[in-house]
Amino acid sequence: MRRLKRILRIAGNDIRIMVKDKVFFFWTLAFPILFILLFGYLYKGGETAPPSAELTVLNQDEGRWGAYFLEKIKSPGIVLKTAGTEPAEYNRLIILPPDFSEKIEARKDQALALKKREDASAAAAARVEIRLYQAIARLLSELVLYGDGDLTKFLDGHAEFRDLVTVKTRYPAKTITVVPGGMDHAIPGITVQFIMMMVLIYGGVTVMEDRKKGVLSRLLFSPLSPGALYQAKLLARWLMGMLQALMLFVVGKIFFRLNLGDVPLSLLVIAVFALATAALSVFIGSLMGKEDMIIGLSILLANVFAGLGGCWWPIEVVPPAVRTMGMISPAYWAMDALHKLRFFQGDFAAVAPNLGVLLALAVVLSILAGRFFKIRD
Amino acid sequence: MLPGRILWYDAFTKEWNMLEIKNLTKSYGDLLALDHFSLTLEKGEVLGLLGPNGAGKTTLISILAGTVRDFTGSVRFLGHDLFSDRNLKNRLGIVPQDMAFYEELNAMDNLLFWGGLYDVPRDALKKRAAEILERVELSGRMKEPVKNFSGGMKRRLNTAIGLLHRPDLLLLDEPTVGIDVQAKVSILDLIRKVGAEGTGVIFTTHQLAEVENTCSRIAIMDCGRILAQGTMEELIRLVGEKDIVEITGNFPAASFTEALQDLDGNGIELLSAADNLATLAVADTEQIPKTMDRLFRRKLAVTDLKIKTPSLETVFLKLTGRSLRD
Repeated sequence: MRRLKRILRIAGNDIRIMVKDKVFFFWTLAFPILFILLFGYLYKGGETAPPSAELTVLNQDEGRWGAYFLEKIKSPGIVLKTAGTEPAEYNRLIILPPDFSEKIEARKDQALALKKREDASAAAAARVEIRLYQAIARLLSELVLYGDGDLTKFLDGHAEFRDLVTVKTRYPAKTITVVPGGMDHAIPGITVQFIMMMVLIYGGVTVMEDRKKGVLSRLLFSPLSPGALYQAKLLARWLMGMLQALMLFVVGKIFFRLNLGDVPLSLLVIAVFALATAALSVFIGSLMGKEDMIIGLSILLANVFAGLGGCWWPIEVVPPAVRTMGMISPAYWAMDALHKLRFFQGDFAAVAPNLGVLLALAVVLSILAGRFFKIRD
Repeated sequence: MLPGRILWYDAFTKEWNMLEIKNLTKSYGDLLALDHFSLTLEKGEVLGLLGPNGAGKTTLISILAGTVRDFTGSVRFLGHDLFSDRNLKNRLGIVPQDMAFYEELNAMDNLLFWGGLYDVPRDALKKRAAEILERVELSGRMKEPVKNFSGGMKRRLNTAIGLLHRPDLLLLDEPTVGIDVQAKVSILDLIRKVGAEGTGVIFTTHQLAEVENTCSRIAIMDCGRILAQGTMEELIRLVGEKDIVEITGNFPAASFTEALQDLDGNGIELLSAADNLATLAVADTEQIPKTMDRLFRRKLAVTDLKIKTPSLETVFLKLTGRSLRD
C-alpha cells in the first residue's frame, strides 16, 4: 500500500509539473488542433449531411395519386419543395409524370426520375432515397388493401388503419452507414501522432533531466525501491498520453462532433498504445544523455510512425505494399483498430488482434525500458 | 514496524553505535574508490569527512544512500543492517551534492512532495515543512518557484529536504559547494544545531575551515581510506610540536626534494613539495637558516618564507602529501 502511494505520488508530481509548464497546452492541445483542422478540412469531402434533406417535386400528375404519394413522403427530416416547371437549380428533384395516377389505376409499371446535383450531400441523398422507398412501399401496400376505393375517406373513418403499414430500414452488419469524414479520421489520427510526439519528447527529456540533476537518485534515498521508481515514471508517462488523448477527444466531441464509434473500446486501444509509447519514452530517456538527441529522435519516430501508420491519411487508401510496411508502426495498429470501431462497426473481436500486437509491444518495451532504466550516469 | 521497535530498543539498551561501518570496499573497474573503510558514529556527533576530490567521499555517501551497490563490507544503522529493510531509510536523511529537487515547484511544494515519500503523517507534514523553511530562512519565499532562487537559497532548500522527516542520521555531501559566505555560515550553523539536538551528522567537504568550526570529530580520508580521525586537537598533535615553514620561490619540485633529502635527522620534515611551493615541518627554528643555505647553494631561488603554527591543513599535508586544493 505504501509502495503504491509512493508510486502515485511521484507520477502525480510529474503530471503536475507537466501541466504547470506554460508551453504544455500549446503542444498538447493548440498545436494538435491546428493539425486536426488542417487534415480534417483537407479530407473533409461531402460527408456532412444538413439537418434537413431537401427534395424538390415537380408534380405533373393529372390524377389524385400524385398528391397522395407526396403526403407519404413528408417527414420531419425532409424539406419538400414544389415546382411548376423543372428548376435550373436543385439538390434533388423527383418528377411525377402526368400519367402517374393513370398508370397506378391501370396497374402498369412506371419509372420515376430522381435527379441529384453532383456535389450535393451524399448522406442527405441517402435519407431522401430511403424516404422515397418507404413512401412507395406504403402506397403500394394501401393499394393492395383498398383497391380503387377512396382511400382518404376510408382512412378518415378508420384511423386504426392509417399506419397499418410501417416500413423500417435496417442495415446488414458491417454496412458503412456513415461516410468517413475528415474530422472523424483526423482527430484520432492526430491524437495518436501527438501522443507519440509529446510522450516521447516530454517523457524522455524529463527522465534524462531527472537523472542528470540527481533527482532520481534522491528519490531512492527514500524507502522507495528502484522497481517502484521505474513503475512511477512509466505510469506518469502513460497518464501524460491518456490526458492528451482525453483532451483532444473532448475538444473533438464539442467542436467537431467527433464520433469514435465504440467509446470504451476506442479508449482501450488508446490506453494500450499510450502504454507502449510511455515505455519507449523511458527507454529513450535512459539511453540518451542530451535533450537535442531525444527531441530529434522523438520527432523522427513520431512522424515516420504517424505517416506509415495512417495518422495523416486513411491507411485504406494507400497501396498494399505501403500498408504492409506500415505494420512496423505502432500507430498502424492503433489507427486500424480505431477505423474498425468507427467506420466498420467493429467489436472487441475485430480489434483483438490490434490490441494483442499493441499489448505485446508495450510488454517488450516495458521490459527493455526497465532493464535499461538508469538512476545515475 | 521497524522504526518503533528501534525506538523501544534505543530507550532501554543503547548497546550499539548509531552507525557502524566495517571494511566497506568498492571498486569501479581498476579504481579502488573505498578500501576497507571503517567508521563509527554516535548519536549527536557531527563528523566532518575531509578529503580531496576522488578520496571516496561521494562513493561512501552513495553506498549509504543505497544508490551504489556491488560493494563488500557491512553497514549497521541503529543496530540493524542498513540494507535489510527499506523502512530504515525513514530514519536517514541525505543531502546530495546535486541540487536535486524540482525547480518548477515552489519551496513549500517541494518539501511536501519529498516529505510525502518518507512516512511523515499527512497532518504533520505541512507543519514540519513550515518549521524547516523557517529554520533555513526561506519562509518569506516559500511560494516562489525555486528556479528564481539564488544558489545559496537552493542549497538551503536542498538541506531542508534532507531534514524534513527528522532523521536520526543526516548525511551531507559537500553541502556548501558554490555558495556565498552568508549562505555557507547559515548551513554550517544549521548543521551544528541539528547535531546539538541529537541527530548524528556526517558531512563531507574539502573545506578545512568548515570542519574546524563545525565538527565534534574530524576524519581525514584519501584513496578510499581513513588516514586519521579525532578531535581537532588530537589531529594537530599528529604533527608534533613542530613549526610549519612554507617556502615560495622559483624552483622545480624535484630539485627542492633532492636538496633537502638527508635533513630528516635534523628535525626537518618535508611535508609537501610542488614546483615553486614547498612545506616543511621544523622542530627547531634554528634549522631554517641551514636549510636556506642549502637551497641557495643549489641556486634554487626563494622569494618568500612564512613560519606558521600547525593547523588542520598541516595535518592533511602530512597525511596525504598533497594540499586539499590539489
